[in-house]
Amino acid sequence: MADKQSLNRREFFSFLTVGWVAFSAACAGLASMALRYSYPNVNFEPEMDFLAGRPTDYEAGVDERWKNGFGVWMIKRDGILVALSNICTHLGCVPNWLPAELKFKCPCHGSGFYMNGVNFEGPAPRPLERFRITMTPDGQILVDKTRIFRQEKGEWNHPDSFIRV
Amino acid sequence: MREFVNYLADPIRSFPIFLVFFYLMIRYVKVVATKKFAVIGTLISLPPIAWALADKNFFKIVIRPDNLPINFLIITVVFFTWFSLYKGVRNDGRLAAGEVPIEALPENREKVWTWPNLVYTELFCMIAMTIFLVVWAIYFKAPLEEPANPTWAPNPAKAPWYFLGLQEMLVYFDPWYAGVILPGLIVAGLIAIPYIDTNPKGNGYFCYEDRKMAINLFLFGWLALWVYLIIVGTFLRGPNWTFYGPFEYWDYKKVVAEYNVNLSEFFWIIGLNQPLPSNMILREIVGIVISLGYFFILPLASLKTKYGAKLFKDMGTIRYFILIFLAVAMASLPIKMALRWLFSLKYIVALPELELNF
Amino acid sequence: MADKGLAQKVRDTQVWKSIFRHGPPDNARNRAAVVAGNVFLHLHPIKLKKSGVELGYTWCMGGLTFFIFLALAVTGVLLMFYYRPTAEYAFNDIVAMREHVPLGIMREIHRWGAHAMVITVWLHMFRVFMTGSYKPPREFNWGVGVILLVLTMLLSFTGYLLPWDQLAIWAIAVGANMAKATPLVGHGGPGAAFAVIGDFVMVSDKNDVRYQLLGGRFVGEPALLRFYILHCVFIPLVVGTLIAVHFWRVRKDGGISAPL
Repeated sequence: MADKQSLNRREFFSFLTVGWVAFSAACAGLASMALRYSYPNVNFEPEMDFLAGRPTDYEAGVDERWKNGFGVWMIKRDGILVALSNICTHLGCVPNWLPAELKFKCPCHGSGFYMNGVNFEGPAPRPLERFRITMTPDGQILVDKTRIFRQEKGEWNHPDSFIRV
Repeated sequence: MREFVNYLADPIRSFPIFLVFFYLMIRYVKVVATKKFAVIGTLISLPPIAWALADKNFFKIVIRPDNLPINFLIITVVFFTWFSLYKGVRNDGRLAAGEVPIEALPENREKVWTWPNLVYTELFCMIAMTIFLVVWAIYFKAPLEEPANPTWAPNPAKAPWYFLGLQEMLVYFDPWYAGVILPGLIVAGLIAIPYIDTNPKGNGYFCYEDRKMAINLFLFGWLALWVYLIIVGTFLRGPNWTFYGPFEYWDYKKVVAEYNVNLSEFFWIIGLNQPLPSNMILREIVGIVISLGYFFILPLASLKTKYGAKLFKDMGTIRYFILIFLAVAMASLPIKMALRWLFSLKYIVALPELELNF
Repeated sequence: MADKGLAQKVRDTQVWKSIFRHGPPDNARNRAAVVAGNVFLHLHPIKLKKSGVELGYTWCMGGLTFFIFLALAVTGVLLMFYYRPTAEYAFNDIVAMREHVPLGIMREIHRWGAHAMVITVWLHMFRVFMTGSYKPPREFNWGVGVILLVLTMLLSFTGYLLPWDQLAIWAIAVGANMAKATPLVGHGGPGAAFAVIGDFVMVSDKNDVRYQLLGGRFVGEPALLRFYILHCVFIPLVVGTLIAVHFWRVRKDGGISAPL
């Protein structure tokens, strides 16, 4: 009677294999769709660029006027003006500027940065980032936070990473 | 005197002191695990604690709402560590004398009715816990800081106490290692314990002598690398996450010179008196070799030792290498801490270009 | 009938008998029936070894952890009546819970209970280790327990973000940056620098694990909502399931551990 079965042993197992592969693939597909679901296509994001006045508005040293609104320190030093990010490169806290010691010090894990943004103490692995800073035709400073310049990649020589004053 | 305690409390000194005490505890466990020692130890430690609490700076840290639970944790951990060792050593003595552990005595093996024996114990524990929680909740307000402000981080910005060990680890390592890999390894290592520890003794009763290595390793990780770091993070870290002695006023303007140097700078600039090479792999070659050697050559080399060879024979290849790898990863934390304190060493491998620092 | 006490009269009513289908648990048969016949009590075996009942052996830490979990579930549901997970309202709602709600200690019980649960779960693990109770046949249940420990910490983490105070926002910032530093799947971690084909960056800040965690590139309201759902629904569901597995396996692996 066994001979009369419509599937022989080998055919039956290959059928089973196809079935299991299809089932696994379907599960994997559903799982990846569930994963994709957790990535929204559109979301609100804060403003990424702003006009920061004129170069003559800034005195030499660290200027904190844009820190609260846009997370940027303007630093005028050695004839250049740069827009420095205030996000610690270690774990994203906001360091404080300590004028007495001429350094930025992060309260979360104690990273310290020189006035030019270069890290020298604590766990931060790399210097603070610079944002693109350019002049508009009418002589205003435009800071664009979508483009960052990283010192360890040698990007601080890029002409958009500072303006001469 | 207070100055002296402050001086001793700096992790650079208090960690070795803690390790010495830990060593003494496991070396003289038979002395520690007695009721006499517990009573005398408690009586001796009470006056210093009272004296310490009399200091207003210390008292302020102790009663900070977020720190209250850690006081409970310290008390319960000290008590239960002693208690489990006490029960273990008592069973050790019985086993050495050829008797069975207390838990295996016929009257303890005897089966009893769940009702009323267990359900009333549980009811008692539940009521005690409820009263405790309600009283605690009435007396102490739950912590609540100022409303969220994305432009200003509080100083010091501390996590709740149970994550302070993690936060302290993050000071010594790059986030990918201290924040992701090490916690992952802690979890994986904990899950792996029953599969690595093939010692059949000590299953279901307290003991110490028969499981010496397992218990010592676990207690080291638990007390020295977790609870101790939590205590450091809670009591000894102040504004800017710099060290403050337990009796020191949290002066926000305290200046700490702390210049950290990467191994590559030690090697090229201080050692060879040359500028750093521009090729990043060449620059970090010493650190890369050391790290790879530490994680891969060291486990292999451990086979050459007598102890390692014996363990290898007992455990088999896979178990042995998992154990050694976990041990090496666990040891990387105190080693890196010591290097930071002694040489201000920042990263052994510093490749910020690839986000790979170690 | 007059000689019966009031208690006996109540016990003889049809209502009482319909609920408790056995006599008082003062003899062997009824003691077995009360545990086996009650959905809550039947977590327990009917009889167990005396060593497993001793507080000096179990410390009752596992039981207390479960009890605190239940207490947190109840107080947590009560808190949800007064809490809106938006950046605008979250903080004020938390303050109002203390000021404007009767029995204003619900949040206190919830918060301190969470702290207590972390302590009890650690001590439970410590006891299980020191008694060697993870050894065969309980290896798998030890693993389930470790995962429950991790989930307890995650519940605490997602929970203290909800008041949207300074602790919350900086904890999210740090947590998000750790996610960013995850090897291979975070755009600021080791490995991401290699996952570049020409100009195409495979792991960027728009598709890495941090984006998933925060629901965006910046810490903001989507992140608060995500952590709210994780804290109130997702993780408790997982924890509840694993607790069931954990308890079931305690029974199936031979009950509370005792010398072999």
